[in-house]
Amino acid sequence: MFEKMQRAFWKALTPDLVVDEPKVVAQPVCGLAPNVVAALGGVDNLKSQQPVALTRVRVELRDVVQMDRQALTAAGVPGVMLLEGGVVHLITGLQP
Amino acid sequence: MATPQQLQLLAPLSGVLMPLDQVPDQVFSSRVIGDGLCIDPTSQTLCAPLAGVISNVQASGHAVSITDDNGVQVLMHIGLDTVNLAGKGFTRLVEEGQRVVVGQALIEFDADYIALNARSLLTLMLVVSGEPFTWLAPETGVVESGQPLLSLNPSEVAADERIAQEGEALFSKPVTLANANGLHARPAAVFAQAAKGFSASICLHKQQASANAKSLVAIMALQTAHGDVLQVSAAGADAEAAIKTLAELLAAGCGETVTVVAEAETVVVETSSLKVLRGVCASAGSAFGQVVQIAQQTLEVSEFGESPQAEREHLSRALAAAVMALQQLRDNATGDAQADIFKAHQELLEDPGLLDQALALINAGNSAGFAWRAATESTAALFKSLGNALLAERAADLADVGQRVLKLILGVEDRAMELPDGAILIAEQLTPSQTAGLDTRKVLGFATVGGGATSHVAILARAFGLPAICGLPVQVLALANGTRVLLDADKGELQLDPDLAAIEQLQTHRQQQKKRQQYELENAGLAACTRDGHHVEITANIASLAEAEQAMALGGEGVGLLRSEFLYLDRNHAPSHDEQASTYSAIARTLGPARNLVVRTLDVGGDKPLAYVPMERETNPFLGMRGIRLCLERPQLLRDQFKAILSSAGLARLHIMLPMVAQLSELRLARQLLAEEALALGLTELPKLGIMIEVPAAALMADLFAPEVDFFSIGTNDLTQYTLAMDRDHPRLASQADSFHPSVLRLIASTVKGAHAHGKWVGVCGAMASEKLAVPLLLGLGVDELSVSVPLIPAIKAVVREVDLLDCQAIAQQVLGLESAEQVREALRQHHETTVNTSLVLEN
Repeated sequence: MFEKMQRAFWKALTPDLVVDEPKVVAQPVCGLAPNVVAALGGVDNLKSQQPVALTRVRVELRDVVQMDRQALTAAGVPGVMLLEGGVVHLITGLQP
Repeated sequence: MATPQQLQLLAPLSGVLMPLDQVPDQVFSSRVIGDGLCIDPTSQTLCAPLAGVISNVQASGHAVSITDDNGVQVLMHIGLDTVNLAGKGFTRLVEEGQRVVVGQALIEFDADYIALNARSLLTLMLVVSGEPFTWLAPETGVVESGQPLLSLNPSEVAADERIAQEGEALFSKPVTLANANGLHARPAAVFAQAAKGFSASICLHKQQASANAKSLVAIMALQTAHGDVLQVSAAGADAEAAIKTLAELLAAGCGETVTVVAEAETVVVETSSLKVLRGVCASAGSAFGQVVQIAQQTLEVSEFGESPQAEREHLSRALAAAVMALQQLRDNATGDAQADIFKAHQELLEDPGLLDQALALINAGNSAGFAWRAATESTAALFKSLGNALLAERAADLADVGQRVLKLILGVEDRAMELPDGAILIAEQLTPSQTAGLDTRKVLGFATVGGGATSHVAILARAFGLPAICGLPVQVLALANGTRVLLDADKGELQLDPDLAAIEQLQTHRQQQKKRQQYELENAGLAACTRDGHHVEITANIASLAEAEQAMALGGEGVGLLRSEFLYLDRNHAPSHDEQASTYSAIARTLGPARNLVVRTLDVGGDKPLAYVPMERETNPFLGMRGIRLCLERPQLLRDQFKAILSSAGLARLHIMLPMVAQLSELRLARQLLAEEALALGLTELPKLGIMIEVPAAALMADLFAPEVDFFSIGTNDLTQYTLAMDRDHPRLASQADSFHPSVLRLIASTVKGAHAHGKWVGVCGAMASEKLAVPLLLGLGVDELSVSVPLIPAIKAVVREVDLLDCQAIAQQVLGLESAEQVREALRQHHETTVNTSLVLEN
């Protein structure tokens, strides 16, 4: 009884540490805001996208050149990290 | 000495700033390690923010610290929980002891690998040595690597201090800390900064512990809490001025808005003529014995360790030894309650969150002992700060298990305490570990400053059948060992220096009590009818099948409250329909078709969360989504429960009760759901539907609720706390949050009036129903059913058989006009003495 409550409390306190089921990927394939997708070169330029590391969305682009950094900033993405192989991290901050 | 100059810290990375408070890692956001900043990186090379020597770099390459020539130490930690990557994704470019220039590359990392494999890339830069800083750039937004970010004032105290300490230290008067969360980072920083304005060497003292008042980290490591008594000492030229200024600053809250703790407390300490100390009864009974003070050992730990490798091994060896020791305690435990506590402690030791915190600190160069203590203390502080009584008790567990491991790390041996006979143990807070090794044959009772009815002292005392009082004033800690005291837990009193007559009286009283209990038990099977023939139904509050069986054996006439949430607590997913249905049916079968079974629907909320009902944290859970409010927001949960409860229809006289109802619409909506579920099951007859009266709104509108319910049951605990606006677990208000308060009694009276006008019955299922003193009062107010805690069924039935309803009505009318709970209790005591002849009963 006692430890069960304890577990419930830990769970309530640290929901991010005690994961009891695989988290459903929060955003569907087209979960990025339309203006963000546009700034990345449109849906056709997106190979994949997934939320990672609490504050980021990791996208794979077919053609990095089509990405418009200024448009991303305007779309409310404060940080953009261009990596190898067309991988881009969009820093979107902690999701509520 | 070098002239003090502004030291600038440059951004070690490019990226986006995140306020430190928002970092989802308690160790960092709480600033236990130090204040600083957090960057979500967009570059992959960590550069030196200042020139200095690499004082530590982790083998795993995720953290590095630099110490400059003035002793300023800055720690950089890449990512959260990145220690788990064991070096993968990181390339170290510097060695420990190496001198680096500002901007020099320290660590390269693979951001994509870390993002995909660790919890987060959020990178911390913390000023470990504790110098206050000002920002040179906006505190949010984008930064470029190498951009000046912080300006530090390197302190020059280190050299001065040695000299100043030669002088004699002056001490301030004790100051009771008024800050709600103790001296956490911000007030600690304010205090440290003020202290730095003096040349004297200054210490802040908390009990035996003390800290350099000019060091933010040292002050925070003192782990001060609200209500702690602190002292400032200073030695040096301006010591007197320093003490005056700093003591005033402390009392004023160090920049935080505080309600200044009344001076009265100090006054009380001086009044040594006090004969009685009052607290709250945690376990009933009384005892006469001698004071034995139990103090928690203060352990010294050195902050910095050998290599992280060695310290990690230290920690894991100590943890393994602690788990074994706890296992032994579990195996030798005197009861389930105790064994469960140690099992819970073992589980705490396996908690990954705690371990990660400690490992992160070890990797930052701290010793195993320091890291472990900081991790357990910061988590315990977090528990305490959430304002939840149950969690606050768990903080005591954490402190206990933390101390156990710490002793093992430091090689401090636990000595079994030698107790004199007839010991009354007195402590700030007794931990399970302290009580486990006690020779209970020599202990007569417990008295503590901290803790409440749910604390371990209370649980263990009840398990041992020993009296206990919690919530005593701190003066109790000043009693000399060997002082003769009378512990009267029933009254919540510790009598100092009791006279012989009082002790003899107590002993005869205890014998009478024993006889009385025997008598009650023998007659438990008799009906609860008053002397003038009025029948009152005495039912049980239960939370399990076992309790249902026990209640029937002790003469319970039904179940007045089945706390259904207890069937849900032991899991992290909702129980299946079949599981629920079989539990309800088994309990109903135990009662049989002639007895009432009142099932209260799920009563959970922010104050008692369920793992599989995710809830947002509420600032005031008692006024938040609790009980029926939560259930109506998640109607499927309620429908499923109705369906399961309905499957036991016919096995007992089924009643369903809704908790926390405040609005008629809530009742109507729930009734509609119930009707739909009953229809779906093809039931022709609905079970009885009633509501808990625990919100004053429902009590005041009982006349409007009555036509639409089949019964009311008054939850006096919540009704009292909502009526008086006093948390019943509040350490200082608990004793005032008394259900005997005339305001609560008036609400009960008007509830009964409203119900009876429509021919509905009223029960009381709160703790008040289990109090013998309340029985004539509740009967007199017209209550039809008392649902009591199982072991008390025989006692309450016996009391009913000894009173006249007419007398009860008279005394009830009389106390409704009184002013306070104390007056009501006193009037009831007098009434009891004049009307009930207990000696006559005993002769039978």
